[in-house]
Amino acid sequence: MTIKSRRTFFQTTFLSTLVMITANNTLFASITPLQTLAVVQEDLFPKEMITKANAYAYVSLVFKHSRVSAEDKQFLRNGTKWLNEEAVVKYNKVYTKLSSKERQEILELISNTSWGESWIKTVLSYIMEAVLGDPLYGVNKDEFGWKWLHHSSGLPRPKEMYL
Amino acid sequence: MKYDICIVGSGAGGSPIAYELSNAGYRVVVLEKGKNLTEKDVSKDELAVSRRDMYTPDLKDERHIINDREEDGSSIRYDGHEHSWSFWNGSMVGGSSNLMSGYFHRMKPNDFKLKSVFGEVKGANIVDWCISYEDLEPYYEKVERVVGVSGEVVKHRFLEPRSTQNFPYPKLEENSVTKWFDKACRSLEFESIPTPRAVLSVNALDRNTCSYSNFCGSYACATGAKGSGRAALLQKCNAKIIPDAFVYKLDSDAQKITQVHYYDKALKSHSIQAKIFVLAAQAIETSRLLLNSKNEYFPNGMANNNGEVGKNLIFSAGGSGQGRFRFEDLESVKQKELMQTGLFFNRSLQDWYEFNDEGTKYKGGTIDFLFEHANVISRASREFYNDEGKLLWGEALQKRIHKQLTTSRVLTFEVFNDWLPTDECFVSADKKTKDKFGVPVGAINLWGHPHDVKVGEHLAKKAVEVLEEMGAKEISYNISSAPPPNLVAGGCRFGEDSKNSVLDKNCKAHELQNLYVTDASFMPTGGSVPYTWTIYANAFRVADIIKKLI
Repeated sequence: MTIKSRRTFFQTTFLSTLVMITANNTLFASITPLQTLAVVQEDLFPKEMITKANAYAYVSLVFKHSRVSAEDKQFLRNGTKWLNEEAVVKYNKVYTKLSSKERQEILELISNTSWGESWIKTVLSYIMEAVLGDPLYGVNKDEFGWKWLHHSSGLPRPKEMYL
Repeated sequence: MKYDICIVGSGAGGSPIAYELSNAGYRVVVLEKGKNLTEKDVSKDELAVSRRDMYTPDLKDERHIINDREEDGSSIRYDGHEHSWSFWNGSMVGGSSNLMSGYFHRMKPNDFKLKSVFGEVKGANIVDWCISYEDLEPYYEKVERVVGVSGEVVKHRFLEPRSTQNFPYPKLEENSVTKWFDKACRSLEFESIPTPRAVLSVNALDRNTCSYSNFCGSYACATGAKGSGRAALLQKCNAKIIPDAFVYKLDSDAQKITQVHYYDKALKSHSIQAKIFVLAAQAIETSRLLLNSKNEYFPNGMANNNGEVGKNLIFSAGGSGQGRFRFEDLESVKQKELMQTGLFFNRSLQDWYEFNDEGTKYKGGTIDFLFEHANVISRASREFYNDEGKLLWGEALQKRIHKQLTTSRVLTFEVFNDWLPTDECFVSADKKTKDKFGVPVGAINLWGHPHDVKVGEHLAKKAVEVLEEMGAKEISYNISSAPPPNLVAGGCRFGEDSKNSVLDKNCKAHELQNLYVTDASFMPTGGSVPYTWTIYANAFRVADIIKKLI
């Protein structure tokens, strides 16, 4: 029971725990991955679709998922730290404080790195899951994503979430 | 209680034994590692099935080690968990037959005598089978009736001899683009074949017909139309099925298996005793179980005193390719035809099942054509890069996904040719890594003979000709020695001589009186077709043998 409680604590705090942003070996700021990811999602796909997909909340579900590996979760979290460190190096501000144009420049910058390209693809993959997954998961509101791509879901639809 | 028959694994290899022996009045128990899911439990949830692998074990708990052989003879060790390299195909009652697409082809008569007809290939352990096509034909026919195969027999150069004129169930409804395909084949003088499917096209066998829901491969069928071992056989007999039962060890005396041990999902150990034991845990896991079952009589693993268990592991060689049809190249009628969903694109080519190239006779293979899988998250995610290879995001990505998925469609093909058995491709029990049960994991020692790629290339180029003739654009293909995890066989090949085979002609272990293996492990060569129909047919054959002996 203790273990279970600790695990629950870990799951719910993993994304809200502060991530330390350092520059020149000194602490610059602290951010939460969720704040950064919410902004990144809107920078990577149109805001209207991110909102309808409920992609912000979906990230939390991904972090709790039993079949997303600890390594994948850690990579998603680490990426928010590295993204912010790039922002600090270039603009002396954390990512969420940058203008839209500056944020796009940072994304372009990291997309040319191995980790950055992989991280952007990871975030995009979860966005696609939120846009096009079954609404049962609290995503793809009113099946807007399926309508967007003229997609008919396979039947039967799921009755319960697989988490 | 002592059972008459204990079967390990409930897929295409195990379920015919359970069906036949329990319906003949014997006490049969089936131990299945996965859950017992029925039609009412399954759905077309892409997130669960295709993105989170709900039907296969979590790799952090259960993995394989892959020792990939390099050209210089060295090998690189890959941990399946660390490299997300999975060889699991479906842990559930009925096994991966629940998740197959059900492209059903019989092996051809010459597949049973590859060595005699085509000769040896240097570096490969090619042998003739110890049974013939004629021995197996009645059981192929039985699978058509009992498991349910729909299709239409058309005459072509490599049509195998049949004891019946046609399939017992008419072919499934087809997408209109098959007409484009047939026309292109006529123009090229290729013989278009409607692909037989293990999917019912009418209500029959106390099962419902296909609902054309557009999600077949990778998904369990909710109507019962797909001929899984569960829907077609296990639900039609009274064999006792114990799900969530991972068999980790066999016990024996000098001549017989005495009991099997399994863990339930709470990791509690149980044992089962029976007169006859049948292994059908899928090729890699069957060899692993034998290798992990050591005792004073079999110090190298059960039935392995000649050191043959795990050897000559094979996959299906070949690869896949694709071409895209775009609205801008099509009239409006054809645009509508292109986007029809639900209907099947069931077409195959076997014109080059055998072929001559520069005076040499080659064993070739089969090409199956099908539309890109309907999984929409996967299709959208394949559009992250533009044509120049630049990663996209924002509105540019939004526009690309919309254009690609709503005004074009991808027709794909899969090439199946022989993966030649070699000394370098085999299963062993890993010496370092154990699974969550504390049992040494299976190590897949991997190598593909260069001959396989050469044949695959020949076939892929023919498929490309068809796509070009149909007017497809952006055509590409990839033939390689990468093993398809769902098309695996060998490891316990059958044969007359116990020095170079594990099983006898009846699929009984040479070294034990009551141990049979009925998954694809028995196959010394694989033919150039998907294996499932042959696995089913052989298991029905062995069931008849056991019935006579017991």
